[in-house]
Amino acid sequence: MRVKLLYHTDVEALRRVLSAKGVAFDPESMMDHVVYMFEIEDCSRVTTHQLVRHRAVSYDQESQRFSAATREGVVTPPSIKSNEAAFKAYDEALKSVYSAYEKMVAAGVPKEDARYILPSAIKTKLVMTLNARSLMHLVWQRTALQAQWEIRELATTLHGLAKEATPELWTKIIER
Amino acid sequence: MKVSLVWTSPNPERTIAVAMRRCYSTKPIEEIESELEQKGPEYWKYLLGKAMQDKSLDVLEHFTLTLLVEGAAESEAGDIARRFPYLRMTRLQGSDWLLSMNARTLVELWRDPRANSFASQVAGELERLGVCPVFNEVAFGERAHAS
Repeated sequence: MRVKLLYHTDVEALRRVLSAKGVAFDPESMMDHVVYMFEIEDCSRVTTHQLVRHRAVSYDQESQRFSAATREGVVTPPSIKSNEAAFKAYDEALKSVYSAYEKMVAAGVPKEDARYILPSAIKTKLVMTLNARSLMHLVWQRTALQAQWEIRELATTLHGLAKEATPELWTKIIER
Repeated sequence: MKVSLVWTSPNPERTIAVAMRRCYSTKPIEEIESELEQKGPEYWKYLLGKAMQDKSLDVLEHFTLTLLVEGAAESEAGDIARRFPYLRMTRLQGSDWLLSMNARTLVELWRDPRANSFASQVAGELERLGVCPVFNEVAFGERAHAS
């Protein structure tokens, strides 16, 4: 998985306005006005299905209607990778699924219909824009121990990037 | 009421184009960005026009802006905040507000008779500062030029 911060709101620009108005900088209320745009590559559709449950976030994701699925593009969970018997079953099932997908596309079935057979393990790419308030909620929920390993990895990375870019808003995680 | 721009996301039209290409391309982001850079503003305009025509306004959500709104009475600001849930307003003092939204919300405000005059002010400010000429042309047509 790879995550890149494409842009974020310039906190200094907000500070200048606040200072011109004689208003103190309050990180809590500025969370609505600081926005981040991320690009995420090669996480599974399992994880993006969890990700898009979060509200007030803008997503644009690689569409399986138009781009062809490839056999290399799957995420294998560590619990499967480390278990020989499980990995064999996983690998066989994937081969069979992709073979059916390729046969359907070759037979003239549109990709948007052939994709019905594709696994949730498939890797995907997306852009995501959200403000600090939405991101903090996502980080709070998805870095928790109950969260699944892949989205926890993603949320931890998002947190790190946001904190590095705008440290003044990330001195503590507000739980709600 | 006076509206002034505090901040907009960099390179708005190219950002919208990146979001659009992300839906259709399997390439890494760097390749999408360099392709778009190479093709230039005419191509970004083509993609933006296509998004507007297909009513795929979701890609506009990645162009974000923050405004200072001065001299808006509580009732006036409250009307906007109540009717348009996808924007964020914070009162700074008295009748001064900080407002953040994305370009999709701006287009929706502009298309709504109840908020058109406010959105036209924002469009005029964007036009004056020249931050997104292609977006202004495609989204607001001749009205933005006139303001």
